[in-house]
Amino acid sequence: MELTRRHILKLTGLGLAGPALLSACSNDSSSGGGSGDGSVKFEGWDYEAALVQQNLDRFTKTSNVKVNYTPITSAQYVQKVVAEFTGGGGPDALYVYDDSLAAWVEGDYLQPLDGMAGVDEVYDAIYPGNAQAMTYDGKRYGLPYYTDATCLTYNAGILAQAGISKPPASLEELEAQALKIKNAGLLEYPIGLPAQLSDTWWSWVWALLFGSGGNMFDDQQNPIMNTSDTVTKDVFAWLQQAATKSKVIDPASLQLLPVPVDNAMKANRYAYTIGARYASRDYNDPAKSKAAGKIRMGLVPSLDGKEHGTVSNTRMYGLAKDTEVKDNAFKLLTYLGGYDSDKQPYTAKFWFLQRGLGFAYKAMVNDPTITAALKKFADPTVYTHLAEIAKPRNVLGVPWYTEFETEMHKVVQGVLSNQTQPSAAVASLAQSAETLKKKYS
Amino acid sequence: MAALTGFAERRPLGDNAKAWALNAPAMVVIALLVAYPIGYSFYVSLQKNNLKRPRAKRFIGFDNYTSLLSDHAFVNALKVSALFVVVVLGLTVVLALILALVLNERFRGRGLLLSLALLPWAMPGVVNGLMWRTIFDAKTGALNGLLQQLGLIDSYHAWLTSGTGAFLFTALAQVWNTLPFSVIILLAGLSTIPAELYDAATVDRAGAWRRFTEVTVPWLLHPLLIVLILETMNAFRAFDTIYVLTGGGPGDATTTIALLDVQTVLTFTDFGLGSAYAWVITAITLLISVAYIGLLYRKGNFEV
Repeated sequence: MELTRRHILKLTGLGLAGPALLSACSNDSSSGGGSGDGSVKFEGWDYEAALVQQNLDRFTKTSNVKVNYTPITSAQYVQKVVAEFTGGGGPDALYVYDDSLAAWVEGDYLQPLDGMAGVDEVYDAIYPGNAQAMTYDGKRYGLPYYTDATCLTYNAGILAQAGISKPPASLEELEAQALKIKNAGLLEYPIGLPAQLSDTWWSWVWALLFGSGGNMFDDQQNPIMNTSDTVTKDVFAWLQQAATKSKVIDPASLQLLPVPVDNAMKANRYAYTIGARYASRDYNDPAKSKAAGKIRMGLVPSLDGKEHGTVSNTRMYGLAKDTEVKDNAFKLLTYLGGYDSDKQPYTAKFWFLQRGLGFAYKAMVNDPTITAALKKFADPTVYTHLAEIAKPRNVLGVPWYTEFETEMHKVVQGVLSNQTQPSAAVASLAQSAETLKKKYS
Repeated sequence: MAALTGFAERRPLGDNAKAWALNAPAMVVIALLVAYPIGYSFYVSLQKNNLKRPRAKRFIGFDNYTSLLSDHAFVNALKVSALFVVVVLGLTVVLALILALVLNERFRGRGLLLSLALLPWAMPGVVNGLMWRTIFDAKTGALNGLLQQLGLIDSYHAWLTSGTGAFLFTALAQVWNTLPFSVIILLAGLSTIPAELYDAATVDRAGAWRRFTEVTVPWLLHPLLIVLILETMNAFRAFDTIYVLTGGGPGDATTTIALLDVQTVLTFTDFGLGSAYAWVITAITLLISVAYIGLLYRKGNFEV
């Protein structure tokens, strides 16, 4: 067949029609609902997606508001949400990490909740640290999903075998106890920490700092770890000593993410770790753990042996700035993070009872159902006290926090592997913070 | 009437126009899916463009590129990448040459060995990283088990926790993954060498070493050039195996430029700086490739 201009015109026409056809087939709904039936587009990371859906079905049944829920893999959650908002197809309501809040507000993804029904009531009822973590530039942007405080988790069975009757109050004591366990031949490395490079924050480093009353930044987010605050350097010095001299911290920690550390705790392979309170629920579950019944939580040991505090994190529900179904999306937010018609934080309670996720509501600890569930894996007094003394990182409000946290991981790895001395480590961190501040100014 | 005839009789297209017409759809697709993103990434590299700060987005010319000179993370990643390329390339070329020479001989079980040697090539980088991570595991790793059973170590070691160890083991995992491709190329090159050349060399009383240096190597320069170019590119852009195995640590001992680039773009959402990194990677691999071609092209015997 001879190819003529007419054939080519026909083919070109088809070529132009192709993209239009593909575009018509695509399933893009612009930012916020947009489907016309008032349904809410809701996104979150993929933790227990089936349970989330179960809870959302209950919401739809009681409110008649349809929810289109999309779970997104945790490892890519932040990137995918950023890409969606940038491309104009973001959700109406979504999970928000406290680490991401400042950047997402600055990026015009979220709207403040101030003045909306019931928000003041929620903020009055939660721990101040959680309220602080959900506030940016004086405005409130979230209702609480879950929260946790970082604690020392120890295996009382192993400690008892070594003749140790109470957990350590100071870091010196922690090292001495660990050495005793090591010398008794019970464990070669009694302390395990998740110190492999990853995109998630290292709560244990912040907990050690806050536990000794230190901080890396002042209230204006200026780095102080190399000047007025010596705690960071002293904690790094202790880490280096425990990792390379007394050798009580497992060198394999540098290869460990949180899940392998959890598995090791459950297999009685570590006597101590520093991590989230809710992990104890699994550690003490006989169906999942050989150490069940022996795991306890304690305050994070400090340099001077006194009680100073710990670090908390807050996961929240946020409302998209450009949502077209604001009323329905806020109804969903209230259901998930606020009070129900019986003045109960239904979803917060649901998550604690189902999976042991920490709650931001102070009064929940007095609920007999909660206390009974809590007693199965923790001492309610210690659990509650940790929540009371926990505070969020004060550097979450800067747009360069993620970069700093990543840099901190590398520096701490250098300290643990004896490649970087504590003084050089704090100098390097201060330098990084200053460089990042300048870059983002 | 003449005009009407002109309309009625359609003139067929010439060969040149036909070729353009037939290739046009593919060229449009390539332009849309390849050329446009490449061009756009260069445009983005000239911007201050962090998705977290859309209001701060602006055109800054070559500032992202000039800032690289004082960017400690970039300079360090560049050094790590350069060393990684040297180690991986050196090991790959030597091992691939040895393996290709062995597999070029006739012996019983050659087919099986050939199949086994090609197996790693079929493995995706992430799977390769996961496999080696299991092997190097400090608690349950096969390497520790083997060495202890052989009596070479007393207790299990955390191999990936020292900077040097992590770097060398990561390089080894990368070599294992990419070696088969080089073996195939060199094996193909070896099969084109006429047997008479070896016969003639043997008659001239050339030993094995002289036959290798005077016959084999000159004939292998062309496939070797391909191996050098492709493996340099591979090693310079290595990401998945390293990401899974060490995440770039300990410290920044295995943070290569590709790893830094992915982190800058996807974790820090700094598309401006990340695109500048990507263009630097492209420019460096291009320069190295041109240098290889300049050094090796038209050397050796290519007129097969």
